[in-house]
Amino acid sequence: MIANRGEIALRINRACQELGVLTVAIFSEADRESLHVRQADEAFCVGPGPAGRSYLNIPNIISTALITNCDAVHPGYGFLAENARFAEICRDHGLTFIGPEPRVIALMGDKATAKRVLQQAGVATTPGTGVLASVDEARAAAEEIGYPILLKATAGGGGRGMRVVDDPSELARAYAGATAEAEASFKDGRVYVEKLIRSPRHIEVQVLGDGFGNLVHLGERDCSVQKPAHQKLIEETPASHLAPTLRESLFEMAIRACRSVGYTNAGTLEFLASGNDVYFMEMNTRIQVEHPVTEMVFNIDLVKEQIRVAAGEPLGYEQRDLGARGHAIECRINAEDPHNHFAPAAGTVSKLVFPGGPGIRVDTALYAGATIPPYYDSMIAKVVAYGDTREIAIARMERALRETMVEGVQTTIDLCLEILATKQFRQGRYDVEFLPQLLAAGTPAAAS
Amino acid sequence: MAQTAYVGLGSNLGDRGANLERAICELDALGRVTARSSLYRTVPWGRTQQPEFLNAVVALETQLAPHALLDELLAIERRLGRQDGERWGPRAIDLDLLVYGNERITGDRLSVPHERLAQRAFVLVPLAELDECFAPLRDALDAGELAGVVRLEGSERAGFAAAAREWQNGMPAETTFGIAARARALATFLSEDDAVRVRIARGDDAIEVVARGRAWARTDADERAVADNAPLRVDTIKSDLVGIFHFGRPAPVEGEVLDGDRELGYIEALGIRTPIRSMGAGRLVAIAAGDDAPVEYGQPLFSIARG
Repeated sequence: MIANRGEIALRINRACQELGVLTVAIFSEADRESLHVRQADEAFCVGPGPAGRSYLNIPNIISTALITNCDAVHPGYGFLAENARFAEICRDHGLTFIGPEPRVIALMGDKATAKRVLQQAGVATTPGTGVLASVDEARAAAEEIGYPILLKATAGGGGRGMRVVDDPSELARAYAGATAEAEASFKDGRVYVEKLIRSPRHIEVQVLGDGFGNLVHLGERDCSVQKPAHQKLIEETPASHLAPTLRESLFEMAIRACRSVGYTNAGTLEFLASGNDVYFMEMNTRIQVEHPVTEMVFNIDLVKEQIRVAAGEPLGYEQRDLGARGHAIECRINAEDPHNHFAPAAGTVSKLVFPGGPGIRVDTALYAGATIPPYYDSMIAKVVAYGDTREIAIARMERALRETMVEGVQTTIDLCLEILATKQFRQGRYDVEFLPQLLAAGTPAAAS
Repeated sequence: MAQTAYVGLGSNLGDRGANLERAICELDALGRVTARSSLYRTVPWGRTQQPEFLNAVVALETQLAPHALLDELLAIERRLGRQDGERWGPRAIDLDLLVYGNERITGDRLSVPHERLAQRAFVLVPLAELDECFAPLRDALDAGELAGVVRLEGSERAGFAAAAREWQNGMPAETTFGIAARARALATFLSEDDAVRVRIARGDDAIEVVARGRAWARTDADERAVADNAPLRVDTIKSDLVGIFHFGRPAPVEGEVLDGDRELGYIEALGIRTPIRSMGAGRLVAIAAGDDAPVEYGQPLFSIARG
């Protein structure tokens, strides 16, 4: 069963079809006309539009899996993908959860605990605290670590429940905001403090493990092009200008971290890199949005590997059998207004043309005439470009984005084109501050 | 409080007259259709390769709030637009919420009065026929635009009227007919005459209503008779769960009179039986789900006429 929607539901369905596995889709009343409903072998409505009552409706989702005799549940990303309780409930009902053990999800899902455990395993982490009980505790911790600091939701992800605090006067408001946002997004308002690393690059390592102790990494991804709320917009692999020794040390830490917790299936360890320092930030115990760039350079199908491993098969290869070739970039096409703080734009897509040709891959669930419901994530497509070199990949991406036409809703296409054209991006000299600064400086897209 | 909404209808696919009739019948289930315009043929202009549209406007008295009404209109479009067994059939009917009482709403999903009202001859011409207030807007359109909207007269109108009557009388098996309208039609019928036999063939989504020697037809007189009676309410009991649905014991029977609250069945999900109750007295006019069959969220199970 595919417990998700949108492009990732299609992605999983594609992997299943190629493996000869029958699929059951779930959908909300707002997604009745969605492609994933049409393409799966069976589909069940599990609730109304709001995700809390449909894509997070555990009883109806589990019941769907049971009455349709599903063997396994693929959670995709978001929704229930990192919900240890859901993984446990799946297991209790005889369903294979396609991901790591519930114990590992719970451990990594609690960001503060994850940091502590991995620190003990010898992984470099950012200076920070455990879960805080009050704003006073936050204040004391911030004084000790030194401003600026980050307040982060322990159950968080995607930049939600996160606040930058530059000096003590802002702390109380930021604390209230972060806890409230975390409570609303994850039903868990707990937060912790972390040292803010100035202008870091966001580098992450893809890992894959089977149930027999075999663990490999599949290189790194640079996801430093982020919108102001720490939301990724452009990702690429390999990361340019990452010193070979630093890269090797990242891989080594990632494998060590996974081994220490008994990690299985696909996962991603996120690091912040600043100068010659790297700090472990958090681990995502699921498939990532940006997994296609890794698939392109490693020529491997990560979702199929997830399913294979979950079915009890061994990986069948070792680290030395794996090699990356070329360069891949992903641009996220979001239905949002870059001129207005990326406000999500729901609506009906009147015209739609996606790019094609050599080296281009598009993952999307969009079609002309589709209505984008207001309830969910605003990402509508991922355009991925591959090339033997970074320059070729960039040129292909620019060509592909110019071919793309989405009418009816505002998108991030023009913004992505502008980013690709900047000197900083061309030279690979950008960090997480790059896009917010570009927007603040008033690029044509932001100003027009 | 009931409000009067004006709803624009258009069809350019399939049996256009029947499409409009079906839609009007479904609209009636959302409240009461109190007036309807003549039918208009709209000649396409520009480079459109589409066939001609058949357009009309109805006045709908409804308790539904504007956004809820919009959702229902979209649901009707979906139901009628679908061809049998095919999820993505072409759209046979286009419904627009033009005016809702004196409300002014501007939003992404819904704007009333409809934002392009003043430019659309095929809307303004029938609308002004129902409500004189819109005549000045209509008259402001240029002659070329007005000429594109042709009121059906004579044999052309008779043709569509005959098709509509045929549909109303016969309700052919291929009719895709929403559960709400179906239940309401049945309930209306049952409330007027107790001595009838009702058979519902669910598999092909059709109903057959047989009275002693006469086929049921809705006339203006019937319409008025219904309107004069206390308003009849039909509740559709839907599933909130995904699971296996089972009939209660004794098994419910269509037409059954429910004296009080009765357990009509239950849904088995995750080993738990959740009873489905009639929620009070009434007449069971439709059983929409099968015994021992999987049901999904929002799936209609029973329709019960109250009062």
